[in-house]
Amino acid sequence: MRRLALAAVMLLGACSAGPAPSQVVPRSAPAPQPANASTVSAAPSSSAGAPPSCDATASLRPGPLPQAGQMPEGSTMAKIAQRGRLIAGVDQNSFLMGFRNSFTGEIEGFDVDVARQIAKAVFGDEKKVQFKVVTAAERIPMLQSGAVDVVVRTMTITCDRLKDVDFSQVYYQAGQRVLVRRNSGITGVEGLADKRVCVASGSTSLGNVVNRAKTTVSVPNWTDCLVMLQQGQTDAISTDDTILAGLAAQDPYTDVVGARFTDESYGVGVPKGQEDLVRFVNGVLERMRTDGTWRAIYGRWLTPLGPAPAPPVARYRD
Amino acid sequence: MVIDSQPRQALVRRFTGLARSTPGRLSLIVVVLVVASLASGWLATWSVNRQERALEDLATRSEPLAHAAQEVYRALQDADATAASAFLSGGLEPVQLRERYEADIAQAQAALSVATASSPDLTATLAAQLPVYTGLIETARSNNRQGFPVGAAYLREASGLMRTQLLPAAQELYRAETDRVARAQDEANFPVVPVLVALAFVIGLVLIQRYLTRKTNRLLNVGLLVATGAATLSLLWVTTVSVLVMNDVADSRTASEKVDVLAQARIATLTARGEETLTLVARGAGQSYEKNFVEVSKRLEGLLDRAKALGNTEAVDQAGRQFQQWQQVHQRIREADDAGQYNDAVALIGNPFFDSLDQSLVRAIGEARQEFSDEVAVARASLAGTVAGVLVLALVSAAGSTAGLWQRLKEYR
Repeated sequence: MRRLALAAVMLLGACSAGPAPSQVVPRSAPAPQPANASTVSAAPSSSAGAPPSCDATASLRPGPLPQAGQMPEGSTMAKIAQRGRLIAGVDQNSFLMGFRNSFTGEIEGFDVDVARQIAKAVFGDEKKVQFKVVTAAERIPMLQSGAVDVVVRTMTITCDRLKDVDFSQVYYQAGQRVLVRRNSGITGVEGLADKRVCVASGSTSLGNVVNRAKTTVSVPNWTDCLVMLQQGQTDAISTDDTILAGLAAQDPYTDVVGARFTDESYGVGVPKGQEDLVRFVNGVLERMRTDGTWRAIYGRWLTPLGPAPAPPVARYRD
Repeated sequence: MVIDSQPRQALVRRFTGLARSTPGRLSLIVVVLVVASLASGWLATWSVNRQERALEDLATRSEPLAHAAQEVYRALQDADATAASAFLSGGLEPVQLRERYEADIAQAQAALSVATASSPDLTATLAAQLPVYTGLIETARSNNRQGFPVGAAYLREASGLMRTQLLPAAQELYRAETDRVARAQDEANFPVVPVLVALAFVIGLVLIQRYLTRKTNRLLNVGLLVATGAATLSLLWVTTVSVLVMNDVADSRTASEKVDVLAQARIATLTARGEETLTLVARGAGQSYEKNFVEVSKRLEGLLDRAKALGNTEAVDQAGRQFQQWQQVHQRIREADDAGQYNDAVALIGNPFFDSLDQSLVRAIGEARQEFSDEVAVARASLAGTVAGVLVLALVSAAGSTAGLWQRLKEYR
C-alpha cells in the first residue's frame, strides 16, 4: 500500500518536472605561489659541463693588518674609509646567517657579524657598515657593478665564480643536506628521485640537486622555499646545512635529514682584481680565528647546528 | 487566389474613388492625421521615457556601482601597502596601521558585495582570492611575531597575489562599471528621429491647411489651427527638454571623467606609496620598486594635471601642491637610504604629505561626484511632466484635426 503511494507520488513528480534546482558552483581558487617561482629542468649551463678545475679555496696571503683608521694610501680600504662606511651585500631571509630581526628591524646573523668585523678592522667601529640585501642570483652582478664592497652571504667559493669575482679564504665550511616535513619518510638526498625539490635560483645548491630530484622548483629566496614546503607545493628543500638549520628553526615540523653530500666553502666575495681588499679581509679572518671571535660568533648563532667546530684552516696560493 | 482577386479589385476601386472625390479625400486626411499625431506623440513619449530611464540608471545604479568598483580597487591597494608598512615598522606592529588594514579589508568586502549583485562573473576572482590573501597576511603576521624571516616571504607571496590577480580583477570590474556609466549617458542623447517625425507632422499640418484654403476658400480652420499649435508646442517642448538634458549629460560626462581621473590619481598615489615602502623593506634590493615609484609618480602628475584641466577646484589645487611636497620628501628618503642612513629614511617615510594628498583627493572625488549627481538631477527634473504633456498634446492635435476636418466634411452632406 505504502509502496503504491510512493510509486504514485514518484509518477506525479515525474509528470510535473520543474527546472533543476540551482547549484552553487565553487570557483576554484588556485593555491598562491611565491612570486617568480619556476620549474627548472636542467642545471644552469655553467655548472652543466665539466666543472673548471682550479684550487678554488686557496686565497691570497694576508700581510700585517693595518691599524683601524689608518688604511694604506691609495688602497681599496682607504677609499672605503673615505666614504665613511663599508657597504656589505647580505641576506635578510636566512635565519641565523643573515636575517632581519623583526622586533628591532636590524639585520643580524653569522654572515652579518663577519661583515661587522671587516668594518671594525677598517674604522675601529663595527657599526660603520651599510647592509644591502642581495638575493643569491644578485651577488655576482652587485660585486661587478661596484654596488657593494664585499658580499658576505653564504657564498660558496667555486672555480666558476672565481672567473667573475675574487674570494677571501674559507670562513665557514658548510655542506648540502635536505630539509623535509617530519612525517615525509625521506631520509636523505637518495630519497628525492621521485620528489619535488625547492632551491633558490642562482645558488650552487641548484646544480647539485637538479639531477637527483624528479622536479626542481626555483624561487628567489630560501624562505620562499619554506613557504612552498609549508603549503605542500614541494616535498623537500635542499641546500647548505647552515641555511637549512635556519629554516628548520622556523618550523618545528621539519627535519634536516641525511648526510652532507657536498662541501660548500663559504668565502667573502670581493670584486675581481681588488687583491689588497682580499688580503685585508683574509687578515681580518685570520685574526678572528686566533682571538676567539670566530668561535664567539658561532656560539651566538649556529649552536642549533651543534657545538662549535674548529674554524676552517686557511689555505693560500702564494 | 482567383476568387480573391475580385473583391480586392473592388476594394482598390473604392479607395481610389474615395481619393478622387473631395469628401473622400478629406476623410482619408482625417484618418492620416489622427494616426500621425498619435504616432508622433507615442514616439516622443517613448524617447523621453528612454531618457528618463537612462538618467535614473545613472543616478541610482551605474554611478554608485562604478564608485563601488573603484572602492574595491582602492581598498585592496591600500590594504597591501598598509600591510607592507606595518612590516617595515618592525617589532610590534603599530595599532593604527593594523586598524587601517582591517578597515581596508572590511571596505573592500562591503564594496565587493555591492558590485557582486550586478556583475557576479567579474567579481568571482575577487571573491575567491580575497580570503586567500588575508590568510597569507595573517600567516605572515604570526611568523613575524615569532621573529621568523619566513614571515616576510609570506608577505611577499600575499603581495604577489594582490598584484597579479586581485588588483587586475578589480581593475577589470572598474572598467566594466565605468563603461556602463558611459552607455547610460549615450542612451540619454538627443532623440533625433522622434524630433524629425514631430517636425514632419507639423509641416504636414501646415501643408494640409494650405491645401484646404485653396480648395475651400476659407482662410482659417480653428480645429487644424489648434492641432498645429499643439503639435508645435509638443515639438518645441521635446526639443527644448532634450537640448537641456543633452547639455546636462555632457556636463555629467565631464564630471564623471573628472571622477575617473581623480580616482585613478588616488590609486596611483596609493601605488606609489606602496612602492616607496617596499623599496625600504627590500633594503637595497629595491631598485625595481623605486623604478615603479618613479613611473607611477610621473603618471600621477599627469593625472593631477588632467584633473586640473577638467575644472580646477581648491581641493585639486591642494592635491597638486601636496604631491610636489611628497616628491621632495621622497628625494630626501632616497638620499638618506642611499647614504646608508636607513633609520633616517624610515623616519622620513612617516611624513604627513602622503596622507594629506590622499585626503585632498578624497575631497576632490566627493566634489566631482556631487557635481555629477547634481547634473543628473537637473536633467531628470527638466524631463518631469514631459511624458504626460506630450501625450495630452498628441491627443489635442488628434482631436483638433478631426474637429477641423469634420466641419469641412459636413459641408458636403
